[in-house]
Amino acid sequence: MTSYSLITLWYERQRYVPGVLAVGFSALLIALQCGLLLGLFSITSIPIDHTQADVWMGAPAVSSVDLGRPIPEGTLARMGALPEIERCEFYLQGFAFWNKPNNGGSELCMVIGSNLSPDSLGKIDKLTPEQCGLLAEEGTVIIDKSDEKKLGVELEKKAEISGYPVRVVSTTRGLPSLAGPYVLCSIATARKCLPVQKDQTPTYVLGRCRNPQDAPKVVKQLNQYKDVLAFTKEEFSLRTRLHWLLRTKAGIALGYAAALGLLVGAVVTSQTLYAATVASLREYAVLRALGIPRWRIAGMVVSESFWIGIIGIALALPATYGLAWAVESCIRVAIVSLPWWLLSSAAAVTLVMALVSGLFALRSLRQIEPAMLLR
Amino acid sequence: MISDSLVMPILQGIHLSRSFGQGETKTTVLYDVSIELFAGQITLLMGPSGSGKSTLLAVLSGLLRPDSGTVMALGHDLWALSDLERERFRLRHCGFIFQGYNLFNALTARQQLEMVVRWGEGASAREARRRAEEMLDLLGLAKKAHLRPSELSGGEKQRVAIGRALIKEPNLCFADEPTSALDWKAGQQVIELLRSAAHDRGAMVLVVAHDARIIEHVDRVIHMEDGRLWQQEESEPVLHTIKQAR
Repeated sequence: MTSYSLITLWYERQRYVPGVLAVGFSALLIALQCGLLLGLFSITSIPIDHTQADVWMGAPAVSSVDLGRPIPEGTLARMGALPEIERCEFYLQGFAFWNKPNNGGSELCMVIGSNLSPDSLGKIDKLTPEQCGLLAEEGTVIIDKSDEKKLGVELEKKAEISGYPVRVVSTTRGLPSLAGPYVLCSIATARKCLPVQKDQTPTYVLGRCRNPQDAPKVVKQLNQYKDVLAFTKEEFSLRTRLHWLLRTKAGIALGYAAALGLLVGAVVTSQTLYAATVASLREYAVLRALGIPRWRIAGMVVSESFWIGIIGIALALPATYGLAWAVESCIRVAIVSLPWWLLSSAAAVTLVMALVSGLFALRSLRQIEPAMLLR
Repeated sequence: MISDSLVMPILQGIHLSRSFGQGETKTTVLYDVSIELFAGQITLLMGPSGSGKSTLLAVLSGLLRPDSGTVMALGHDLWALSDLERERFRLRHCGFIFQGYNLFNALTARQQLEMVVRWGEGASAREARRRAEEMLDLLGLAKKAHLRPSELSGGEKQRVAIGRALIKEPNLCFADEPTSALDWKAGQQVIELLRSAAHDRGAMVLVVAHDARIIEHVDRVIHMEDGRLWQQEESEPVLHTIKQAR
């Protein structure tokens, strides 16, 4: 069955090109959109992915790193008391209003205050030792070069965060932001910029394990307490990205666009197969007259849809990588994330779509009537 | 020595009637037709267009249900069988050749034949290939086995279609205008192949055609007009043997 399907597909390839392209387009759309969104939302987990902590402990029910709330100061000692923990420290993060100089308006920003020592757990790895030295002075901040315009400042310019005066002492590169530009500073500066962080409370307590593989065990022990919620680095990173993916309208938009792509692919593939089957109705009718069971003929149509799916996906994968590369070359930021599981899922969904299209095309077989061959 | 198979009809239509349409548009195509067809015989059913000969072929072969009457084929009441049973009957016993060759454009001559054996009998690829090559050899198409329909002449295509019908070694073979799209030389070859299927393989072959030149190549000629059989001629040897046996 498969061999006849492949022979037919190749010989009549011009007839099947629209179906193959439609399947390829669907797979490309799904993979690229999901990859783009995944990459985009990986920006939200930068504070986790670009720091050294193995364990993150925050407020109960925290769903994303940027939505942390103050937790009791004493939780630091709780984590530090665990034998698996090598060291732990405070970390502050939260949204605040950035007031541009000269009454230039305000902008929402994400303040990150961390320990700045060389072995810091919460320091973003893009900060150089010199920059860390500059941040040691209270009231100094570092922003990403790409956010200068948005924040209305340049190097050595002054602005205010929640009414607290700050000075930009340096800039980083390659630190893209989604909800608000990242503003990096010391814990002392962050505490001034984030009024919600009262007294000595941190937003998170970060821990490093003597053996990183002990992180799940540490998390389990910490989660016995109800006033905090702890995660391994990987868990919290995924949780943050999934929160943005599933709880925001961007995720819905993605689903809608992907569904639309699938629908277009399904309709075109189904119609291509339908037309191809109708064009061979007389040949199929002879087989039916000869007593060949209908399921054999149906099997050939479904087999054709399977191969259309496989060929479409095979074309879509390199195209996906090519377009991802093109996008990233244009904006100079690695923003499309294409892990193997995403590509496999996109391929599987597209293949199922192609097979379903084949099943829909089977309605054409109802028109097969061997007696029509007799005049 | 006359075999029983020549004496007893292998296919019998009894009081067959068939109409199309309803009410004022109702047209009766077969009027109480009875016919007996024998194994090892090639029978030509002739008549003008619209005389009902193709309808009779369709009814006798299990493709079109009659309004009334019975078709007895190899001892089975064909129209008393379920659809699935009739499909299996056709698979096991019937071969068809149509005016249009109706070959798959993408498949070679050999693959057209292999497909029937593999899909119909579930034969292995190797077995199907062997039988297809044997049949093509018999049809004089051994050297054209690898060609697709677009690379074959009309006569060659019809021979492939005959091969597709005969590769199952059917007891009953039905051919509807098998020569009408061919020149006489190619048409003769086709008729000879069908004649050989009847005489050498013992199949019942029923040919529907207009072409009077075929008459001298068949064992028996049945004329049909306005939905009725009105004259049956048998070639001398066949008539003689049947009478003797009776």
